[in-house]
Amino acid sequence: MRKFGIVLKYELKEYFSSKAFMVMTILFALAGIILLFLPRVIDMSDFTGVEKPGTQQGDDKQEEAPKEEDMPLMLFLDQAGTVEVSVLEQFFPGTKWQEAADVEELIGAVEDQTAEAGFVVKSAAEYDYYVYNKSMTDSNVPIFDEAMRMFYRIDYCAKHGLDLQEVSAMLEMPIQSDVQILNKDTGSNYWYCYFLVIIVFMLITLYGQMIAVSVTNEKSNRAIEVLVTSTSPNSLLFGKVIAGAIGGLFQTGVILGSILLSYQFNRAQWGGMLDMLFHIPANVLITFAFFGLGGYLFYGFLYGAMGALVSKTEDVSKSSSGLMVVVMVVYFFSLIQLTDVEGPVIKVLSFLPISSYSTMFARIAMGTVAPWEVILSFVILVASIFGAGVLGAKLYRMGTLRYGNPIKLRTALKEIRKK
Amino acid sequence: MKLEVKEIRKSFGETEILHGVSFHVESGKALGLLGRNGAGKTTTIRILMDVFHPNSGEILLDGAQFVPAKHQIGYLPEERGLYPKRTVIDQMIFLANLRGMKTKDAKVSALKWLKRLEVEEYANRKLETLSKGNQQKVQLAATLVCDPEIVILDEPFSGLDPVNSQILKDVVNELITDKRLVIFSSHQMNYVEEFCDHIAIINQGQVVLSGELKEIKKDYGKNRLVLSADNLKQPELETRISAEYGDLVTVSGRKKDFLILERREGVSSRQIMERLAGSDIEVERFGRYEPSLNDIFVAKVGEEA
Repeated sequence: MRKFGIVLKYELKEYFSSKAFMVMTILFALAGIILLFLPRVIDMSDFTGVEKPGTQQGDDKQEEAPKEEDMPLMLFLDQAGTVEVSVLEQFFPGTKWQEAADVEELIGAVEDQTAEAGFVVKSAAEYDYYVYNKSMTDSNVPIFDEAMRMFYRIDYCAKHGLDLQEVSAMLEMPIQSDVQILNKDTGSNYWYCYFLVIIVFMLITLYGQMIAVSVTNEKSNRAIEVLVTSTSPNSLLFGKVIAGAIGGLFQTGVILGSILLSYQFNRAQWGGMLDMLFHIPANVLITFAFFGLGGYLFYGFLYGAMGALVSKTEDVSKSSSGLMVVVMVVYFFSLIQLTDVEGPVIKVLSFLPISSYSTMFARIAMGTVAPWEVILSFVILVASIFGAGVLGAKLYRMGTLRYGNPIKLRTALKEIRKK
Repeated sequence: MKLEVKEIRKSFGETEILHGVSFHVESGKALGLLGRNGAGKTTTIRILMDVFHPNSGEILLDGAQFVPAKHQIGYLPEERGLYPKRTVIDQMIFLANLRGMKTKDAKVSALKWLKRLEVEEYANRKLETLSKGNQQKVQLAATLVCDPEIVILDEPFSGLDPVNSQILKDVVNELITDKRLVIFSSHQMNYVEEFCDHIAIINQGQVVLSGELKEIKKDYGKNRLVLSADNLKQPELETRISAEYGDLVTVSGRKKDFLILERREGVSSRQIMERLAGSDIEVERFGRYEPSLNDIFVAKVGEEA
């Protein structure tokens, strides 16, 4: 235990004396803080809907209506005789509408981009839409659909002697509802779960690789023979992995903590619009800390073992590729299953040590989980961490002084079983 | 302290590498472990250090099973290596800590050994910034930092220039004088000859010769004489000796400056000397042959090969 402490201290010093590590931590934390303090410094009311502190509502900020010549031109061809320009201008504010003489003129104007788009209304319920490049965010079609419905209603009311306003009030009777969530709001919890799953995934892949490289380095710089004759492989591997875990947690903690605290401090200035990402309940954060750390340690030991199977750092990615596939598959499954947190797949995944780190806290955040399930899952995870640690130390010991070609995992496991 | 290695056998896969290696060494004495490349020296040392487990045989220290973790051992492996990106003092303290020393004592000891090996000015430098020779000295300092009772040096002189070799020689001599138990593996026979009271020559995984060096030399030089003449060149002298003295001696070897003769059974040195005195051979050198360790090694390993 004492030697484990010595290794841990030595490895931690490596992380905390590394300028790159500290500078990266501080830079990312600062970037998060600056970004989240922006609404206090610059006016982001267009984006957040909240006035910058110190500015009065409407003060020096009179909305200037765009000049007519600056408005984008939209064309239409009314073959059904139902289109009303005033309605179109209401549905498409800030645009200028003109009727084209024929389809060719409309298409020509769209093609040479003098008009932004064109609509040929063939009948009360049919039209063609012409656009040069259809962007991802183009919402002209659903808006024009609504405008077409309005033309139809106007026409219908006129033909049947009905009052359009009365009919509209009848059709669009306002309904009041008050949603009382008695357990979890899956919709609003979804995004921070998504965010936290990504954080753990990044921690595992980034620091796991660093742990593997650190183990391989000891083989490539030939320090391993001195080390294994000075202490046990368990102390060496546990010290190395746990130092990596502490380093990773420190970095993530500082960055994530800065972001969460900065958002908490500036939540009102953001109008709560980032709640879905950064307003995480304490119980979810605690569960995330336990399960996330557990999963991280579990994979950390396995990455350490993969590092021991090769003797050159350039071979580390080859050796850890199988493990990386597992991490990736679990990551994608976890994300997909976030939309079905009561389903059988995520329930099974939440008990497996390879996936409980992300799926159990997602279930806790978004679904209904019995306490015994959380405890059982955590016990399985802790037992698996020790299992992975002992297996990793055995592979590490077995890989000692085995230079040259990477050792296949299957061969290594066979040799361990023989002993 | 007496360390005994008894009948160690080791196989890798189906191939047996060590076929019953045995030797012993005591405190205040140095054992030279000699052998050609691939003879099994490093495997033997790694078994001693518990890096590998033997298939059979035992290692005893003062009659009890030897457990390396329970003793302060300074081990300089053949595969040298420390942390290139860390400072010299940091890693020396780390290694001393791992071997049970407190940080304060470790720092004092580290600085003492760095000074003794004349590299104290590099204490706060990263290892990778040092020359290869200085890195080697740092490695030796790291070996000795824990004040070991047993010192195992695998090819300690490789990569050292003559000046650094002299420093290392002095250090090894101090360790022996200081009653440490030293095991020393090397190809460089002159160093082994200089320090070691006992040798064990390993060839193809077995000890082909072991014992006290003085006795081995005496035994190997028994019945052998050296002869050179002022008035005859070596080939002429060899022809004359073979032709005229064949009843007394045979020519068993040639060195640059003299012939090595082996007395026939029952023949004394005096008889040979008297016959030479009566001849026209102007004797330049005549006396008992003292073989070098190199001669013994080549003869022994050559015989076995």
